[in-house]
Amino acid sequence: MQNHQLAAPSPAEPQEPIPCGPGQNPRATTDRASAPAISIRGLAKRYGPITALKELNLDIGRGEIFGFLGLNGAGKTTTIRLLLDLIRPTSGQAFIFGYNCWTEGLDARARIGYLPGELGLYLDLTGLETLEFLAGLNRQPVDKRRRQELCDRLELPGRDLRRRLREYSAGMKRKLGIIQAFQGEPPLLILDEPTEGLDPLMQESFYGLLSDVKRGGATVFMSSHVLCEVERVCDRIALLRKGEMVLLSSVRESRRLAPRRVRVLFSKNVSANPEFPPGHELTEKASRLWRLEVTGPIGPLLALLEGLPVEDMEVEEARLEDVVLRYYREEGS
Amino acid sequence: MSGPFLLFRLSLKRVRTLLCTTGLVLAGVQALRVRIAASLHSDGQFEQLAALLPSSVRGILGPSLSSVMSFNGIVCGVYFDTGFMIALLALTIAVSTVPASEMETGFADLILARPMRRHWLITRTIALALVSILLMLLMIMAGTWAGLAMFAPPDVAWPPARQTASLALYLAMLLVCWSGVAMALGAACRRGVAGATTSLIAFAALLLDWAHRLWPALDRIAWLSPFYYFSPYELVAGKSLPLEDLVILWAIAMSGFTVAYLIILQRDISR
Repeated sequence: MQNHQLAAPSPAEPQEPIPCGPGQNPRATTDRASAPAISIRGLAKRYGPITALKELNLDIGRGEIFGFLGLNGAGKTTTIRLLLDLIRPTSGQAFIFGYNCWTEGLDARARIGYLPGELGLYLDLTGLETLEFLAGLNRQPVDKRRRQELCDRLELPGRDLRRRLREYSAGMKRKLGIIQAFQGEPPLLILDEPTEGLDPLMQESFYGLLSDVKRGGATVFMSSHVLCEVERVCDRIALLRKGEMVLLSSVRESRRLAPRRVRVLFSKNVSANPEFPPGHELTEKASRLWRLEVTGPIGPLLALLEGLPVEDMEVEEARLEDVVLRYYREEGS
Repeated sequence: MSGPFLLFRLSLKRVRTLLCTTGLVLAGVQALRVRIAASLHSDGQFEQLAALLPSSVRGILGPSLSSVMSFNGIVCGVYFDTGFMIALLALTIAVSTVPASEMETGFADLILARPMRRHWLITRTIALALVSILLMLLMIMAGTWAGLAMFAPPDVAWPPARQTASLALYLAMLLVCWSGVAMALGAACRRGVAGATTSLIAFAALLLDWAHRLWPALDRIAWLSPFYYFSPYELVAGKSLPLEDLVILWAIAMSGFTVAYLIILQRDISR
């Protein structure tokens, strides 16, 4: 398959810059109640000569489920750690619900539930001790019924919660991580590779949990390598490549950037060798079968097939995976 | 319950086994030490024992030799016994490098992703180190009291409470000083590196202090060693607590804590 006939993906549109000086946030004073869940302006992080994140501009609205994609080392975790003030930016600003992530970090982080990619837990503590300790660090007390509900949904019974974490499997630790992030019912969830280590059934439970919190008005910012998961749960995605955002789009729009696979079956041998319109690529040609990849509207193909003995035609929906993989391959090359 | 208090409570809970075990061992050894001192006293062997000491040890003890080589000296020697000091220093370093461990394991991510200020990682550790040191000294005092109650010959006077308290305070200050050094290093590097580096520095400083007592030529650099400001033998000989030394040890500790605060507030929290 050749990629060069794919529609050129539109580069990430820069977000409208917000003019503000260091430590200032005009939205904070004017309209914090309606500020985006996450607002990032010119955020950059360099480690000496290495640029981990390059001038990132991004707004994530309230109630969105936002997928943050990229290969390892693309800058996803760096962005998340910058939002949490775990690492300090080289330049730029970020706001959580209008609160500056550094100058008003406590207010910002009071609204976040965070699931790290690699959970650092004390193995000598029990699951319950860990949950209670982390709940105690929140400003708002945790509703124990909510915690119990989460444990039930993720099938982490009280018996397991009373065990020490050194006895936990990777999947159980992941469940615990999800519970600690969700238990305070924060308005913003920042999840780094949330389903890593979860079995398919638990992944389903997790997706159900995500759609519930979305219904409840929460915003989710998640990084993931699992493209079908992102396609399924996210409203919008951003794709990072070498620290730079190269795609920002809704999942639906992203799919349009990928070609649809079309299979045309003829009732008789066809020897015609037509000239296909732009956006159409013939990937396989047999006497009674054509396989094509079509980017854009399919009408011109239908016009071209008129008069040919078409017996059947299958059009496979474009997948987000095709778009994202193309970006990944470009990065690899 | 506030977040910082919960953090302190969790840290204390995690080191409680280490503290209790070390404390009980030190108290037991101290009680045994009193038993040995009582036996030596009954047999009148202190002078013979002093004569058996190598000249280097005599040089280190200086004029305090006779005071140290007595029932009172052996009992109070727990506060400057090398073995006890090494055990207490190891414990202090382990406790003081807890933030490094939290950053290494990623537990700090979970703490700091919540509305908690970074300085609490250090403030909590200072409190933890102080509590640990206090607890160890109380356990040693308890061991001393139990040993004296059980084994002290009736014809000897127990070490004066004021002298014991002074020695304990002196040792506590030395440990707090090393806690500051360990914490400054632990805020900047990995726990293993911080622990090993502090231990090496402490060992070198101890050697330097011993060496300067034997070779006055080293006096020019001996002041660099925190042990230079720790002369407990003189307290056993009846001198009062040297406030200047305490202030210097305290100043080193404060410098270490300040550096730790500055580093933790500036650095990227990463594994």
